[in-house]
Amino acid sequence: MTKKTVGQVTEEEKNEILQLFERRNGLNELAKILTPDNDTLYQKLVKDMGETGIKFQSWWDLMAAKYQWEGSENGHWEINFDTCEINLVTE
Amino acid sequence: MLEYLIIQLDDTSTSYCHYEIGAKEHKLMPLETLKAGIRFGMLENLMIQFVYPDYKLPDDYAAAIESIDHNKIVSSLCEDEALKAEADVMIFHEWTGLSLAQLDEKKSYVLRTAKADLFDRYLFLKDVISKVMRLNIVITDVETFTEEDFEKYKQILHILSEHIEKAYVAGKSPQFNILTDRMMLEKMNNCGAGISNITLAPNGKFYICPAFYYENEEDCVGNLENGLDIKNPQLYKLDYAPICRHCDAYQCKRCIWLNRKTTLEVNTPSHEQCVVAHLERNASREMLENIRKHGSFMPQIEIKEIDYLDPFDVREHWDEELLQQELIKYHQENY
Amino acid sequence: MGEMQIREDARAWQSGMAKNITFIVTKDCQLACKYCYLVGKNVKERMSWETAKTFIDYVLSHEDDFPEESVIWDFIGGEPFLEIDLIDMICDYLKQRMFELNHHWFNSYRFSFSTNGINYHEPKVQKFIEKNREHLSIGITIDGTEKKHDLNRVYKITERGSYKDVVRNIPLWLKQFPGGGTKVTISSADIPYITESVLHLYSLGIHEVNINVVFEDVWQEGDDKKFEEQLLSLADAIIDGGYYQDYACSFFTEQLGKPLDPVYDNNNWCGAGRMLSVDAAGNLYPCTRFAQYSLREKNAWIIGNIKDGIDKNKLRPFLTLDRITQSNSECLNCEIASGCAWCQGENYDAADTPTVFQRATAICKMHKARVRANNYYWNKLYRKLELEGKREEFEKNKKESNPTIC
Repeated sequence: MTKKTVGQVTEEEKNEILQLFERRNGLNELAKILTPDNDTLYQKLVKDMGETGIKFQSWWDLMAAKYQWEGSENGHWEINFDTCEINLVTE
Repeated sequence: MLEYLIIQLDDTSTSYCHYEIGAKEHKLMPLETLKAGIRFGMLENLMIQFVYPDYKLPDDYAAAIESIDHNKIVSSLCEDEALKAEADVMIFHEWTGLSLAQLDEKKSYVLRTAKADLFDRYLFLKDVISKVMRLNIVITDVETFTEEDFEKYKQILHILSEHIEKAYVAGKSPQFNILTDRMMLEKMNNCGAGISNITLAPNGKFYICPAFYYENEEDCVGNLENGLDIKNPQLYKLDYAPICRHCDAYQCKRCIWLNRKTTLEVNTPSHEQCVVAHLERNASREMLENIRKHGSFMPQIEIKEIDYLDPFDVREHWDEELLQQELIKYHQENY
Repeated sequence: MGEMQIREDARAWQSGMAKNITFIVTKDCQLACKYCYLVGKNVKERMSWETAKTFIDYVLSHEDDFPEESVIWDFIGGEPFLEIDLIDMICDYLKQRMFELNHHWFNSYRFSFSTNGINYHEPKVQKFIEKNREHLSIGITIDGTEKKHDLNRVYKITERGSYKDVVRNIPLWLKQFPGGGTKVTISSADIPYITESVLHLYSLGIHEVNINVVFEDVWQEGDDKKFEEQLLSLADAIIDGGYYQDYACSFFTEQLGKPLDPVYDNNNWCGAGRMLSVDAAGNLYPCTRFAQYSLREKNAWIIGNIKDGIDKNKLRPFLTLDRITQSNSECLNCEIASGCAWCQGENYDAADTPTVFQRATAICKMHKARVRANNYYWNKLYRKLELEGKREEFEKNKKESNPTIC
């Protein structure tokens, strides 16, 4: 596995994805304890998971288009929340 | 610097401030203790203020008291009519007594009142203010003020300030602590407990103020035998009160005892004490401006317009630099 | 493309921006550590579910009073994992209620634990970790070598050392929390073991050792000299052994030992008052150190309870407390003041009157010794790096230690 820094986002942009990242983790862990018996809350969770997933992917699409980062077919991008750097990680 | 010694002659000596004396029974200060207290005051060059109980003192006590220049603080309920006539400050604990009393235009009076009575009967104060040299209001439950109470108090101050304004325009100079004091002050003038005054209780021990004695007799700061022993004395000073040192509600009592009761620290006032003091400050400011519409008056005094009622709420904007230089200087001089 | 990984230091998470809310779930512990400041530990005061729930409902229904962006729900004891069933219920309820109420903390929370590590491997604890993995920060306290650890960290009654029962769980913990750091406390009797203990912890795979001397007045004549000698030997070992590249020890910090500006460096060190703690009785405190079981001399500083909420007047001293107002002139004029820590709770407990405005100075000599050793460390390290032409690279990648003191 190799890692290469291919760009950087702004602090505000980092905060957007950090919040979505945290929310997604929260939803995933909430999903482990909520059951369909609690219908209202379960529906709210399912809806939120869908919306958060879409927002999450939209951020990456938008940023990739904005910054035109280098990519690779057998790799993926990561963000370093400490530095706002985007790394390309290849297998 | 210590200037005053307050001597509580008896456990039932009248309260002249926020505290209640509670269920204490008569316990007169031993005559030898009284004499030793007077001697302490003379040696330390302190002005003594005697706080009297409601019964007549034995003659030998009166003789000891008269051996030194002093002030007498006496309750309106005191049985000793001769003493009442000599009192420098007379304390009223309820409104009816005040309404029936023969007031002396050369005397100072204190009215201790609950907020509810003040809100109901404040108009009566117009008459009292006109008849006396000075009237101090002590609100005994100031720590219970709510937002609604603040609003009522603001309105009351406004109404009373109009009356005082007219008196000033007519050439009189009534003194009413919650409205006229701030108008006359260029720096903090607080109660000074632990700094400018100290209290000697009937047990021969010193206390920061009578309230500390009534709350807990163990809470003393020395005794007549060994002298004063105030731990952390700096905490009673303005420089060591982070909120107060940023404040210009100079007339505030800055009650050390209420501070400790409400915030657990002697140097930190409660929100309620701060807001009440700022409502008074702002009413004084408005009154000063109105008086000046009739001619020049106290030109050296400037009370700025501010947009807060509690300095704590604007703590992020405090200008620390100058104050801290003073603190450092204080440290260098005192440690 | 677009998969993300998080890279953050869990212990410094949202440093300064997070509200720290502590549940004192129990005042019981398997151990009776000799330096423990908790003088009132007992087996009776265990938090009930009703108390915990009422507290959570109070906090979450007063969102305006807690504007901090993030929250750290902290669990302490005694030993918190003795109450794993309750903790599990609390965390589930928190997650559910934060989501249900659309509370802003649902987007930014952590569950934090400081444990003695003895029952870390137990199924209930492991199940809890698995369930909450992404939101957990767990620190295991291990003091160093077996000898040093067992000097203080002993079981109740038997006084048997606990080292073996803790160290067996370290590999599992480091597997689950690879960046996990440990907290080491130094008292007078521990001084001779500092160097070997830190190196031992490194050898266990712990890359971050947060170590500090106790704030209490326990120091003997000559302890500062012995302390300095230990730190010098530790400095040599870290530098000569090359540990500085991947390991951190909080004793050596570049910002340490500088003069502090009276105006611009006037902040309070301690976070008491910005935190909130609740105990089994439902009383609220500005920090756990103000609960009665932590205090030797003074009464608990209670700022409210779960029924009536927080009495904001009782927080005013903490929120206006600054360095100058609580320091004596020696501290104020100290030319090596930076990094000299204090604990507001210990200040209160040791003060001449019941105040938080009197700074305890029992660690003064120890701080001075630490500063001298710290100067030696950085002078030696930078010279070595310069001679090797590696200083720039080191500056870029250096691992900062966590200055947490509590």
